[in-house]
Amino acid sequence: MLKKLSFGQYTYKNSIIHSLDSRLKIIYVLMTSILIFLIDDFLKTAIFSFFIVIVVLLSKIEIKNLIKSLRPFFFIFIFIFLMYLIFSRNKLEQGIFTLWRFLMLITMSLILTFTTTISNMVIAIEKLIKPLKILKIKPRNIAVMISITIRFIPAMFLNLERLKEAMLARLVNFKKFKHIKLIMLTLLDRMFKSASNLSNAMQSRLYNENAESHKILKLGKYDYLSVAFISIFIFVLVVY
Amino acid sequence: MIEVKNLYFKYDEKFILKNINIEIKEGSFTAIIGANGSGKTTLAKHFNALLLPTKGDVIVDGLNTKKYEINARKKVGFVFQNFEDQMVHSIVEEDIAFGLENLELENNEIIDIVEKTLNKLKIKNIEKDNVNMISSGQKQLVALAGVLAMKPKYIVFDEPTTMLDINNKKNIMSIMKKLNKKDKITVILITNILSDLKYADNVILIKKGTVIFDGKKSMLNKKILKEAGLNA
Repeated sequence: MLKKLSFGQYTYKNSIIHSLDSRLKIIYVLMTSILIFLIDDFLKTAIFSFFIVIVVLLSKIEIKNLIKSLRPFFFIFIFIFLMYLIFSRNKLEQGIFTLWRFLMLITMSLILTFTTTISNMVIAIEKLIKPLKILKIKPRNIAVMISITIRFIPAMFLNLERLKEAMLARLVNFKKFKHIKLIMLTLLDRMFKSASNLSNAMQSRLYNENAESHKILKLGKYDYLSVAFISIFIFVLVVY
Repeated sequence: MIEVKNLYFKYDEKFILKNINIEIKEGSFTAIIGANGSGKTTLAKHFNALLLPTKGDVIVDGLNTKKYEINARKKVGFVFQNFEDQMVHSIVEEDIAFGLENLELENNEIIDIVEKTLNKLKIKNIEKDNVNMISSGQKQLVALAGVLAMKPKYIVFDEPTTMLDINNKKNIMSIMKKLNKKDKITVILITNILSDLKYADNVILIKKGTVIFDGKKSMLNKKILKEAGLNA
């Protein structure tokens, strides 16, 4: 069950995209996400789509896995498409164009999650938000908060499952509001206890908000190449 | 040495610990035993300044915990009873490195210590595993590794065997023994299981927040244990 609840869809593949620095990958996703909404003609959209296909191929992601991850969004796409079809048929072309852009945006994010481990992403976020220190925001606090969330959400669901089983064994009926309330309150109580234990453990291990992750992220040959490639790509799309 | 002098601790207007006077000598293996709710864990939390006395003092190697909270905490590691809640990061090696990062050690030094700790506890094979996916025995070892990596002089084990099966119990007990005899780490074992006293030299028996026995294990007798609500 925990396997299902674990965050991320990372699967190891020996690919260029996997080997790229996670900080760069996050920046690229952010930049291309903005760019997707700046392009407004068919040719540029086609170039962008071609770019995504190249990245997917380079990352060696299995297409069926990608489609599986996109599937939950298909209902939203169909809904938006139907809305255009019913209420503004004259803008149908624009609707399809918007849907396509959303699809590209989600695919870009999926490429990031498929090729980057959660821990590398957390480290990258910690390193990227370092300049926020000027605003007295501690990157360590944010990184640890994300880590704790990732660590404890599966545990919370496991707790919920155990509680549910224990209550069902005592003939609880989850159609009754008072029983739903009971399970939620018990779960909340357990989570607060866990939070209190964790807080003690962090204090005990000398939690220091000025510290940094010991992991070093270094740019390699492919990272520099990717910077050049992305720069040319953005230049072509924005200038021409 | 950890010295506890006239310690009182009040919580919710009720004294949980009353007039505790004990000494835990360097290099010893001391067990603090007592029935559930007797105040064992509350007392142990004073050793690394997680709790501060309402009255009295706790002195760790000459440092009063009221004044030198962090320095005392550096000396006394704590392996919690709910070790599942002790882990901050999802990946084993990252969690072990957490305390070392807090100490702001050099990156290479952290990598080196993590590696050595993993090897010492024979958990190198799970270094990249998710802590949610490993067994209870392994989780206990990861929790210990996180503490051990920080090289404390004293380690408190809070009821370490209660959630483990027989093999894991044996393993953690023999690790505690090794840490004490080989690495000269002072082990403070909090327990209510008498069979856990196997390797202890000294025993402190607590009943309703007061010490009713403090001495060599050999001096313990059934009468005292019964008085403390423990079955011999």
